[in-house]
Amino acid sequence: MSASQSAVRSRAEAVQVSRTFDWMILFTLFTAVLGGYHIHYMLTGGDWDFWTDWKDRRLWVTVAPIVSITFPAAVQACLWWRYRLPIGATISVVALMVGEWINRYMNFWGWTYFPVNICFPSNLLPGAIVLDVILMLGNSMTLTAVLGGLAYGLLFYPGNWPVIAPLHVPVEYNGMMMTLADLQGYHYVRTGTPEYIRMVEKGTLRTFGKDVAPVSAFFSGFVSIIIYFLWHFFGRWFAKTDFIADDAS
Amino acid sequence: MKIIKDKVAKLSFVALLVAMTAAMFYAPTASAHGEKSQAAFMRMRTIHWFDLNWSKEEVPVNETMTISGKFLVFAGWPETVDKPEVSFLNVGIPGPVFIRAGSWIGGQLVPRSVSLELGEVYEFKVLLKARRPGDWHVHSMMNVQGGGPIIGPGKWVTITGSMSEFVNPVTTLTGQTINLENYALDNVYFWHAVWFAIAFAWLLFWIKRPLFVPRHIAVASGKADSLISAGDKKIGMVFAVGTLVIVAASMGATNEKYPVTTPLQAGLLRGMKTYQMPEANVSVKVDDATYRVPGRAMQMTLTITNNGDSAVRLGEFNTAGVRFLDPAVHEDDTAYPDDLLAEEGLTVSDNSPLAPGETRTVEVTASDAAWEVYRLADLIYDPDSRFAGLLFFWDEKGNRQLVTVDAPLIPTFI
Repeated sequence: MSASQSAVRSRAEAVQVSRTFDWMILFTLFTAVLGGYHIHYMLTGGDWDFWTDWKDRRLWVTVAPIVSITFPAAVQACLWWRYRLPIGATISVVALMVGEWINRYMNFWGWTYFPVNICFPSNLLPGAIVLDVILMLGNSMTLTAVLGGLAYGLLFYPGNWPVIAPLHVPVEYNGMMMTLADLQGYHYVRTGTPEYIRMVEKGTLRTFGKDVAPVSAFFSGFVSIIIYFLWHFFGRWFAKTDFIADDAS
Repeated sequence: MKIIKDKVAKLSFVALLVAMTAAMFYAPTASAHGEKSQAAFMRMRTIHWFDLNWSKEEVPVNETMTISGKFLVFAGWPETVDKPEVSFLNVGIPGPVFIRAGSWIGGQLVPRSVSLELGEVYEFKVLLKARRPGDWHVHSMMNVQGGGPIIGPGKWVTITGSMSEFVNPVTTLTGQTINLENYALDNVYFWHAVWFAIAFAWLLFWIKRPLFVPRHIAVASGKADSLISAGDKKIGMVFAVGTLVIVAASMGATNEKYPVTTPLQAGLLRGMKTYQMPEANVSVKVDDATYRVPGRAMQMTLTITNNGDSAVRLGEFNTAGVRFLDPAVHEDDTAYPDDLLAEEGLTVSDNSPLAPGETRTVEVTASDAAWEVYRLADLIYDPDSRFAGLLFFWDEKGNRQLVTVDAPLIPTFI
């Protein structure tokens, strides 16, 4: 077969090759994002995502969306501007959470026997779906960053509250009050994660009393807007095909 | 096409075989906690653990045991390690093989971090409930912010039974008794399954149609807008609105189901109650100290003055949890770990009773393989080559006095 000949002999075969190519790319994208995003999120979100006694109403709410909107923004940039596929955020977050669940179940529980109810991952999916839909409807990076980024930050806490609320029921333990999540952190010994390392309830946001979670969520949303822009540009840069002749876009 | 598929299948099979072979290599259980690797000066000059007691050596699942004792926060705390102003009483065990049912310093529960004072002695107790069967090395431990974990002596404890029988009942302030081991787990699985299902539905809606090649051709030829139909937008709206509705409704339902919730608790406990040791009437001056590398022995020249009214003898030198005893003065009856106990490891050139008012200069030798085994000899490679430890003197009535020593150490290699 010479270089000028087609690798396929019929339209049906071309369609079949195209679909096979789709699945191969999807699989590669999924696993590559799973690995890269997982490492990124564990390094930046880390303990906030590992442990229930880190999932507070201030810093977890603030940090998790900011550090997790990164890969969704970048993958969106590639899949949307190259293929008009509005699944960049969702596929990224699904990949991340699949990786996280494998990690939590196989490692945290399977190797070190931490109960899953102390080390389950945060739920980032509601924000990711909304981010994808906004990009599809608006066809605008700016709109997606502003509306989607804000929504991503705002939806995080309510999207997780049904999962963590049972662990915020108070308990009296040897004369001290704590939440069940605090008690989990105390009971299930972590030699390398002492209590003082927890970044919970820190900061100066005290004027809003107990209603601090919505304020934190808004702040997180605002910063997520900026991070979305930044990582969207990273994604566009990575999706460039300058190395291919005649396509210097 | 078939060739490509075959190649992918073959490569996948090879990758799987490589992964399985790698996993089958010998992988021993990590049972200890690197206590021997921690810099010797850290162990000798920070927290001195003594009077330690492990209440049991074998514990069935669901039964409890305690580690109790005292620790001295050394006054000569090294400059290279942050002071223990924020510390946490921990235990060194390989993950939650026990749960920490309680921990106390000076009788106060310490689920949170504490502030410790240099030069003070504290009494502590940790209550452990057995969870996972096996032989475990159980250490006392103090985490110090900016200093890291300072691990104390460890002892092997066996947990018997089955982990499946482990329960962790807790009664909440709302009156509900739950098993914290698996509490709310179904709820976690349920909500994650719901959101995964929604996300997969969204992905499936798109990936069921031809993706990369035809869509790229369309975008490149300026027909990108034709790739998103009005129907796609309607479905997208359904997903977005549905997401918002589910989030709002589930949050409302959760608030109704759990009307009483509190924020995570955090804070620093100050003013911990100290333990008052009997006042020492013995003063000790270290004239010099050398470590003889080939002999695995530390030799100190001490000038000891007895300012009390009863004759005393030196019975023990304790450093980094290793106890060197003079059996003529003191014998251990606490079942202290063998590897940390040199029962005849302390030799004093003249250990006859030191009379009240008398001053004597003696050569004290602490020798045992523990210097090497516990890598305390590595002190000579530390940035601040000083040693420190506790000397215990006994008077004729059996009363004990504690004196700390802290001095430069000179190694000798011949």
